[in-house]
Amino acid sequence: MRARLLLLIAILLVAVSIGGAALPEQTVWSGLIIASNSPPTEPTPAEITQIEEALRKLFGYSQFQLIGEARKTLKTGEEDWLAASKYFSLQVDSRGEKADAYVLNLKLFQEQKLLLETKAKLSKASPLIIRGPQVGDGQLVIVLVVQ
Amino acid sequence: MKTFEEKWTAWVDDQLTGRELEEFLASLPDRAAAEAEKQSAKQLGSFLRKQAVALSNADFFNHQLRERLDRERAPARREPDVVRTGWWTIRRLLWGSATSLAVFALCTFVVLREKTPPSQSQYLTEILTYRVDPTVSPNATISMFQKKEDHVTVLWVEGLQSLPAEYATK
Repeated sequence: MRARLLLLIAILLVAVSIGGAALPEQTVWSGLIIASNSPPTEPTPAEITQIEEALRKLFGYSQFQLIGEARKTLKTGEEDWLAASKYFSLQVDSRGEKADAYVLNLKLFQEQKLLLETKAKLSKASPLIIRGPQVGDGQLVIVLVVQ
Repeated sequence: MKTFEEKWTAWVDDQLTGRELEEFLASLPDRAAAEAEKQSAKQLGSFLRKQAVALSNADFFNHQLRERLDRERAPARREPDVVRTGWWTIRRLLWGSATSLAVFALCTFVVLREKTPPSQSQYLTEILTYRVDPTVSPNATISMFQKKEDHVTVLWVEGLQSLPAEYATK
C-alpha cells in the first residue's frame, strides 16, 4: 500500500514538473534601429545579427545602430512595455498567446504624434520588421523578436 | 428420607434390600401390577443398552450431519466471499482511478510540451490590422509582406514625413 502511494506521488510530481516546463516564460525583444550606410561607430547589436542579412536585403543599408530597445519577459502573455529613444517610442500591448504566437498591439510615436498603429501576431520563430520614417540619411526600422 | 419415586427406581434396579424392601412392597397398592411394570422397565432398559451399542459410531453420524449442514449453508456464505475477494474491490477501484488520472495528466503535459516547442514553430508573423493617422501623415501608404526565405514579416510604410538626422539620437 505504501509503495503504491509513493509511486502515485512520484507520477504526480513528474507530471507537475513536466507541466511547469511545458509553459516556459519567453522574452520579446523590441528595438528601434537606424539603418544607414554611414561608417560604423558601434558593433551591430547581437539581437540584430540573426536578421542582419534580411535587413540588408530589404533596405539596402549596411549599418544598423540601436537607438532604443526593451526586453520583456512574458509570464501571462498580457503585458505592456515601451521601447523608446529620444524622439521615438514604441508602445507594445500584449493581448495574449494564440497558436504559438503573441498577439500584440503596437503604436509608434514620434514624440507625442502617433505615426503608426498596428496589430500583429508575433510568431515565436518569425521576427517582425517595420519600416519607419526616413531619418537623415538613414531609415528608422523597428524590430520585434521572440527570444 | 427417600421419596416414593426414589424407592420405586431403586426397586426397579434391584437396589432395595432388607427392611426398606419389605416396607416398600407393603406400601404398593397392587403388587402384581407393580411387578409387571418392573419387568417392562427392565426390558426397555435392556433394549436401549443394545441400541446404544449399535449407535457407538456417533462421530460418523455427527460428521455426516455437519457436512449436510455445511452444504445447505454454503451458497449463502459464498456470495459475500465473491464480493470480498473479487479483484475490483472499492479500494482497488479508487487506486486504479487515481493512477489513471495521474497517467493521463502525465501524457497530457508531455503532449502539450511536444506541441509547443518555440523553436519548431513553422508560422510566420501575421499583420492583422494597420493604420496611420491621415492628419499626421496624409501621403502615407502601408503594405505588408512575408519573406519566407528569411522567415520574417515586414510592414512597409511609405510616405511618412522625413526627419532630420538628430532624430537618430538615442
